[in-house]
Amino acid sequence: MNNNISVCALSEFVNEVKASPEEAEASYGVRLAWQSGARSSAEASSMKIGPHTVSRNFSWSIDEPRQLLGSNHAPNPQEYLLSGFGACMMMAFVSGATAKGIQLEHLSINVEGDLDLHGFLGMESNAPVGFSAIRYRIDVRGDASPETFEALRKQAESHSPNAMTLANPVELLGKINAEEVRDSDT
Amino acid sequence: MGHTSSDTRQIVPIRGDKGAAGIRPDRQAWLNSLTRSRKAGPHLSDHQFTGMADQTLAVHAGSGNEAVTGCVGTPIYQSTTFLLNEDQYRSVGQGYARDRFIYTRYGNPSQWSVQEKLAALEGAESAVVFSSGMAAISTTLLTLLDPGGHVVASNELYGGTYNFLNLELPNVGMSATLVDPRDYGAIEAAIRPNTQVLYFETITNPLLKVVDLRRLGDIAERHGVRLVVDATFSTPIVTKPLEYGVDIVVHSATKYLNGHSDLVAGVAAGSRKLIDQVWARMLNFGGCLDPHACFLLERGLKTLAVRMRAHAETALAVATHLEAHPQVRRVFHPMLETHPDHALANELMRCGTGNVTFEVEGGDTAALDLVGNMTLARSATSLGGVESLVSLPFNSSHSSFTASQRAEMGIMPGCVRLSVGIEDPADLIADLDQAFDQIRPVREANA
Repeated sequence: MNNNISVCALSEFVNEVKASPEEAEASYGVRLAWQSGARSSAEASSMKIGPHTVSRNFSWSIDEPRQLLGSNHAPNPQEYLLSGFGACMMMAFVSGATAKGIQLEHLSINVEGDLDLHGFLGMESNAPVGFSAIRYRIDVRGDASPETFEALRKQAESHSPNAMTLANPVELLGKINAEEVRDSDT
Repeated sequence: MGHTSSDTRQIVPIRGDKGAAGIRPDRQAWLNSLTRSRKAGPHLSDHQFTGMADQTLAVHAGSGNEAVTGCVGTPIYQSTTFLLNEDQYRSVGQGYARDRFIYTRYGNPSQWSVQEKLAALEGAESAVVFSSGMAAISTTLLTLLDPGGHVVASNELYGGTYNFLNLELPNVGMSATLVDPRDYGAIEAAIRPNTQVLYFETITNPLLKVVDLRRLGDIAERHGVRLVVDATFSTPIVTKPLEYGVDIVVHSATKYLNGHSDLVAGVAAGSRKLIDQVWARMLNFGGCLDPHACFLLERGLKTLAVRMRAHAETALAVATHLEAHPQVRRVFHPMLETHPDHALANELMRCGTGNVTFEVEGGDTAALDLVGNMTLARSATSLGGVESLVSLPFNSSHSSFTASQRAEMGIMPGCVRLSVGIEDPADLIADLDQAFDQIRPVREANA
């Protein structure tokens, strides 16, 4: 199969969603637990695709380099953010290539971003707290022209959920569930 | 295998489902322009049988006439592999190989023929046959479960299925919770965030309890989990599980479906979406069915409706006789008014089946004697054949349990499982009576 994706199965899913829009509703979740210092662990919750449960038996660690007071035992949150963006772009690019009948021979994506930590540290600066720009470069080899690949890159970017989450404002809805521990309780 | 070069107007014969085609890739378009939708099948011929009674479907559905010779009925396509042309190469490249003949593990006309008949009888879009019932069950469950996934299943399962859940699922990071198949509160309470499948048997072995498929379907829908049932003991003539919200129905086709105790086979039937996924896993696990066995199964299925009527009639006569027999403590058959599920059976079952279970006075020793004395019913495991078979759960299907564990399940000493064939009931009754008369004086060893 081209790119080891069944374009027929992809097409069947597209047309299933046309007939039953609820099949396109996907819900995700992760649970994070602080372990120690800068280190935390994350675990995927069960996911829903359409009305059905998908078990997700995955967990991973997050840490910071020693320079940022961690132990450098695992990727940091920014690297997860960049890889979450890059992997989503890759999925969109490969799906689009498969739909177009393009056979890929090589595909890699480099993603970079610069942060000014003044923002995190709360120091007066004109710099934003978050990334002001994310740069990516797709290296690809396959049976299509560079112009076709560039058009595919644009289509992939505009259809990538993570790319669009980064590029557009997204509402963050947070709340706290707190319990105060008093000296007398310890 | 570039799609663009293959996308010519050249005419090549379609060796497979003529109603199913691949896609024509467009280099400008995005995913929403893809045109292929799922359809029922794959089908061998253009002529599908719908809206007909089971008795007609059993004879005609899927049974194609071969074009070259005009022979009536599906020939045996005893071949490993098929000549390849451009269309078949494209089917591999684009992922519609299930609609073409490539290689017999992927698909063979003898498989398609019997699959179409089974799907028609179950009211399913699609079916896949397997080399055994356990191949159908294990492949179906491993299709619907993801790593970390969990099954809620009956605690009265067939031993092979129990072993798969108990011994194999933990090896691949999955698990099962077993619950009373008729305690619907317990079933619901056992569902966890990682539960993906409910797994039950339509009629349990050996006590022939009937599960309420309507309630199971409701629970599965409310929790967003898949419902799989093993309908080996009921067959589509008796009940059609997909009508109640079951996602996939599986069978040991070795039993009633084939009906002649001369092959081992299994089947999974359901929506094209799910059965395509099951098929893809079958390719990896390898449990496909040989063309000759497909032919035998297809031929056996032609008489399924009339056989089930004969099984039901004979079994009810035998069960009624046993119920009045002084050496019988208790008889289980859903069509007897004394069966705890008789009312439910009347609602869910279009007719009875051939299984009769009964408890002999004198425990397992007397039961062993009885079975040894019978001359017509063969003492062998399995069920659903035209010939009557008799076995004892304590030393066969349920021998891995202790006597007290069996008692907890309701399998008491002296329990006999009789699969009533299609013989004349008077002959079977005469054989049972002489076998009871010859039981040696009671030595209650297992009470």
